[in-house]
Amino acid sequence: MTARLLLGFMTCLLLIQSPHLLARDTNKETLPIVDKPFLAPDFYLQGEDGTKYRLSDYRGKVVILNFWATWCPPCRDEMPSMQRAWEKLKGKGVVILGINVGEDADTIFEFTGQYPVSFPLPMDQDGAVIKKYPVSALPTSYIVSPKGYVTHRVVGTREWDAPDMLDRLLALTRK
Amino acid sequence: MKKGLYILFFGFCSSAGAVVSTGVDEAARLPYWELRDTGISLRLVQRLPDQTRGYFLARGFEMKHVERIALSCVFQTVFKNISHKTKPDPIVYDVRDWVVIYKGEKRSLKIREDWSTEWQKEKVSQSARLAFEWSLMPTQQEYQPGDYNWGMSAFNLAPGSVFDLEVVWKQYGKINRSLIRGITCSPDIHPEPGDIP
Repeated sequence: MTARLLLGFMTCLLLIQSPHLLARDTNKETLPIVDKPFLAPDFYLQGEDGTKYRLSDYRGKVVILNFWATWCPPCRDEMPSMQRAWEKLKGKGVVILGINVGEDADTIFEFTGQYPVSFPLPMDQDGAVIKKYPVSALPTSYIVSPKGYVTHRVVGTREWDAPDMLDRLLALTRK
Repeated sequence: MKKGLYILFFGFCSSAGAVVSTGVDEAARLPYWELRDTGISLRLVQRLPDQTRGYFLARGFEMKHVERIALSCVFQTVFKNISHKTKPDPIVYDVRDWVVIYKGEKRSLKIREDWSTEWQKEKVSQSARLAFEWSLMPTQQEYQPGDYNWGMSAFNLAPGSVFDLEVVWKQYGKINRSLIRGITCSPDIHPEPGDIP
């Protein structure tokens, strides 16, 4: 009886641990493709520093369109890797636009004091832009092709500066 | 005694291969309940009503509204599609399919759309509504392999209530169901600096 109990307990522990065991060699970041690419809805938004950003001005480049908010823990988590990716991809045909949802310039300014970010942070204060995209949770990022089509959607965070991720983003500039 | 140990050991291992565990979340230092299966990980972490009060007061809600949210049994929900580590396949869920079992009665979660109707009737400011909408776990979502999200879930129960949750999701061409037993809503306590959780 005791042996059966012990065996069962160990099986249960193994089941709990098994996803970690299986995960060891398969930690590549995923970049899911959207089933049907669609023309990225254009927008014209002001950044926290007063600069105006229009999505269509970035035609010819790959755009990572990241919807985020300062109060969203995973959004904050991925900001440093996004900043590192921005620095590594500078001048290589990939840009990042971090669209803040529903907050004001003071809040974003305070946030960037803690999380230094040098890529554009357009403000979607009334939520009009996020409603044009099929976003249901933050953070969500879209990859917009040089021709202006949304080709990939990422829900949740990624290590944006992981080597395989950078390679895939750079490959998209050549398509 | 032995029957009790069996329940303790196997109670967390559900029939369909899903494993449910509980413990204390390292980041929040609050109790969590977690469901893991081949392609899915769902963790519900208790939120103290006071945490929720602070959070929504800072988002522009009036105190009467903040109280309503804070006392509705809110959990931080972390939903992950972990199938990229084993057998990649998307997950689709709709929270309206999930069943809350409280004192033998089947109930539903209070979802974004329910709250939105209340906020519109009570003329809650647009910025507060926007923050609320994006803070809550999406009602429906499709997660590709590697996707994950955080969001709050409101179970619409009083602080300290204990309930079971049947989680339903589509993956690998079938509808999967798993039961998480004994989830406990946070009591309405007010920790002081220096208190040990």
